[in-house]
Amino acid sequence: MEMTGEYRIEAPRDIVWEALNDPEILRNCIPGCEELDKTDEHSFEAKVKAKVGPVNSRFTGSVSLSNMNPPESYTISGEGKGGAAGFAKGSADVHLQAENDQVTVLTYKANAKVGGKLAQLGSRLIDGTAQKMASEFFSEFERQVSEKYALSSSAAAADTADATTPPAEEATAASTSQTSDQATEPPVGESAEASPAAAASQSTSSQQAAPGRGETSSTKQSAGGLPPAVWIGGAAIIVVLLLILFV
Amino acid sequence: MPDTGIGASVKRKEDYRFLTGKGHYTDDLNRPGQLYACFLRSPLAHAQVKSVNADEARKLDGVVAIFTGQDMADDGVGSLPCGWVVTDRHGEPHKAPPHYPLVRDKARYVGDQVAMVIAESQARAREAADLIEVDYEELDPVIDMSEAERATQIHEEAPGNLCFDWELGDKSATDEAFAKADTVAKLDLVNNRLVPNAMEPRAAIGEYDAGSDSYTVYSTSQNPHLLRLILCAFVLNLPETKVRVVAPDVGGGFGSKIFAYAEETACTWASRKVGRPVKWTAERGESFLTDAHGRDHITHVELALDNSGKFLGLKVDTKANLGAYLSSFSTCVPTYLYGTLLAGQYTTPAIHCNVKGMFTNTAPVDAYRGAGRPEATYVVERIVEVAARELGMDPAELRRKNFIQPEQFPYQTPVALNYDTGDYEPALDKALQMIDYKNFSQRRTESERNGKLRGIGFSAYIEACGLAPSAVVGSLGAGVGLWESAQVRFNATGTVSVFTGSHSHGQGHETTFSQLAADRLGIPYENVEIVHGDTGQIPMGMGTYGSRSLAVGGSAISKACDKVIEKGRKIAAHLLEASPDDVEFKDGKFTVSGTDKSKTMAEIAFTAYVPHNYPEGLEPGLDETAFYDPLNFTYPAGVHIAEVEIDPDTGITEIKDWVAVDDFGRVMNPMIVEGQVHGGIAQGVGQALYENCVYDKESGQLVTGSYMDYCMPRADNFPNFRVDMTVSECTHNPLGVKGCGEAGAIAAPAALMNAVTDALGQEIDMPASPEKVWRIAQTRIQQAAE
Repeated sequence: MEMTGEYRIEAPRDIVWEALNDPEILRNCIPGCEELDKTDEHSFEAKVKAKVGPVNSRFTGSVSLSNMNPPESYTISGEGKGGAAGFAKGSADVHLQAENDQVTVLTYKANAKVGGKLAQLGSRLIDGTAQKMASEFFSEFERQVSEKYALSSSAAAADTADATTPPAEEATAASTSQTSDQATEPPVGESAEASPAAAASQSTSSQQAAPGRGETSSTKQSAGGLPPAVWIGGAAIIVVLLLILFV
Repeated sequence: MPDTGIGASVKRKEDYRFLTGKGHYTDDLNRPGQLYACFLRSPLAHAQVKSVNADEARKLDGVVAIFTGQDMADDGVGSLPCGWVVTDRHGEPHKAPPHYPLVRDKARYVGDQVAMVIAESQARAREAADLIEVDYEELDPVIDMSEAERATQIHEEAPGNLCFDWELGDKSATDEAFAKADTVAKLDLVNNRLVPNAMEPRAAIGEYDAGSDSYTVYSTSQNPHLLRLILCAFVLNLPETKVRVVAPDVGGGFGSKIFAYAEETACTWASRKVGRPVKWTAERGESFLTDAHGRDHITHVELALDNSGKFLGLKVDTKANLGAYLSSFSTCVPTYLYGTLLAGQYTTPAIHCNVKGMFTNTAPVDAYRGAGRPEATYVVERIVEVAARELGMDPAELRRKNFIQPEQFPYQTPVALNYDTGDYEPALDKALQMIDYKNFSQRRTESERNGKLRGIGFSAYIEACGLAPSAVVGSLGAGVGLWESAQVRFNATGTVSVFTGSHSHGQGHETTFSQLAADRLGIPYENVEIVHGDTGQIPMGMGTYGSRSLAVGGSAISKACDKVIEKGRKIAAHLLEASPDDVEFKDGKFTVSGTDKSKTMAEIAFTAYVPHNYPEGLEPGLDETAFYDPLNFTYPAGVHIAEVEIDPDTGITEIKDWVAVDDFGRVMNPMIVEGQVHGGIAQGVGQALYENCVYDKESGQLVTGSYMDYCMPRADNFPNFRVDMTVSECTHNPLGVKGCGEAGAIAAPAALMNAVTDALGQEIDMPASPEKVWRIAQTRIQQAAE
């Protein structure tokens, strides 16, 4: 089974790349995502509850990354098991292209296999479910990334305007992604939706962030202050989930 | 015409309980202390099973046992056998790799049984199955049978995934015929794979009684004695005296319930291991995955003709998909039930047929309504139609020109069969008249005016059924005899229990057999009770398939009735103080010739059980058993004509009219026969227009695994079938009957596809789905416009 997709996101490529590798963003954007854990530097595990037609199950996915070419492309391979519901596995090439300074085009090309009940019962529904979940994911992703970008832009603007702004506030573009709608709240540890772990990692990264970094620094720092494994894992998870859920 | 005797359209007595929900199906039965089984099935089409870890599953509350293939191996459980050894053209028996009820090394198709979970409830068993971790090493699956010979080997016993390379007929004579031909028609065909879709999914309960050290197996079987034989003699190594198989009401089988499956075998075996009854009922999804599928051939056929349209020779090359394992009779279906029918109704003097049976990583393929004969009819009737188009001859007249003539019977075909009787032209004439053939072109013109494409298609089918003479099938490799048994037991009050080895799973035996016994014995229809489906009650029998119930099972009943009458004659002669030779039996009365002295059958039965005044030396009781082994197959034949109209804008094929004129010999119950014809045509239409079982060619996943993707025909897809009969009575059974259960499914696909291709003016493979038809129709319209 082959699946391709293209999404236009209103944010610079580095921001998108960063977000694509941010497990917290991913966890928030992936429909039904319950857990994601790093198992080693290049692999992650996620648990996602999903319904494909009559097949309702909790899928466990493991993922690894290769062909890393930040902030442009990578290949992600993975496998998800849903017990009696069956399995999905495959790989995808994900590519980011800067349409201009403000807009990035994400394309992916996935090759996947599904098996068991998922293949037996869901074959007619899989495409539709994939479309639906993909659009849910990307609209949420787009929203979070745009917001984060807008926030970091305005923070940077504020920074420029008011040199007294504490650097930590806008230092971590990634972490602000969790400030989904409360831009007035302090950017660190503020999000009610963020899990404690996310908040913790966020505050850690905030503390690690170099002072004085504005929006330009975020384009430079693809990891956005997060450890590389986190963003790798996050990216891995999203594509695996795409594979598991969408194909 | 009698109300309830032979020839009467008696309403089916079993329908009251079926229609009011009072049937006793296997899943309706529950045994005290019963546990539930769930089978963990392979999600992969081809994989080495490296380990099965059930530790977590075992910890679950309510889980009683989890078994794997190793547990069965440790217990000495054998392989499910294939009961028909086909000898291939090199003199080698077919390759017979083992088929274990639970896999021991590799999973060979999606759905293969990897482990069996037994728990206190069905839900718990499923939950536990979910916790079992299986370490699979994935292997390349073999799905496309045209590439199977070069693909990964599925069984070590079968190089090139070839089960057999079989042939029938005289190759050199056929080659000579082709050398002399004026015209050779050629065609490549696909006979699409089908899922049987019995209304009732398979189910089984295994129950072990430690006190008597014996087993009772409740199962949705068409063939309880054969299941017992296979379980005892081949798989579980038990004496037949210790196993009783009960196949109660069964909701349809179409062949798929003839066979011994892994699940009932495992439930039987496990019931002793856990000391409690074990029940399993298939989910619909499991039926799709694991019921033996039907058909699945790819064929190249060539027909040689002279200029006048006389058939000179026929060459057929077929690859038949057998699936991952051999099911109980899978080898005979694409060989002896297929190649032998390639003469059809015609005098083709030379025929050669080569069939390669292929293993693939798909569910086993075996008999499905018609079993081999629909495939043969499809080949013959499609190529005849193509030849008629190439020669520019009327397809009806081309057929007529080549029909075997009445005076040629018994007719020996070049492909082994000897047709005892038949008369084909009257059926063709009747069908042509019924469909108003001479005005077809006018109807076609009208359709064209309305922007529709109209087509007409013929199928002059023949089948060999009433399976089967034991000596003949034995010489061809069958491991069983195909006779049938009957026991006719009078009770003292004059009622009769008829025990039959035939099994009814929708055919209406309780009605037809009651009519037969009542008619033969001259007693009220209501006084007859038919007992079937329980090896603990009935003499050994061979079950129901191959349109054999009436021709073979009914003949056995008839013979047992004759025995009862003979004994009754002696009792009557004694009571009437006459010589048995002077006693006549007619309409339920024993009469002394030339007198008005008589005794009724009921009086005789009473005397037999209360023998106060009784012939010396005669045993009391009126209870006779007969076995009947047919002398030949029976050969029902007929002509079906389908007329279709295709809407080029939607690709939808509407069946405008369907006529069927069949020769089933003598008919016991015309309503039931007509119902069988209707059902058969419906299944044939399903194959031709809707149904298609598809595996993903790369992964081996079943992608048509539910009714969302597997299209079944519905009532509004059919016109009112118009059914009529001709009668040439079978010459070799006592009833003169032939068998009608499969005819519709045999005749229909060819008739319908001939009509569709006639309308489209182009070849198309089954199923002629709207999308395929639409594409062709659109291309045709474009071409016409240019």
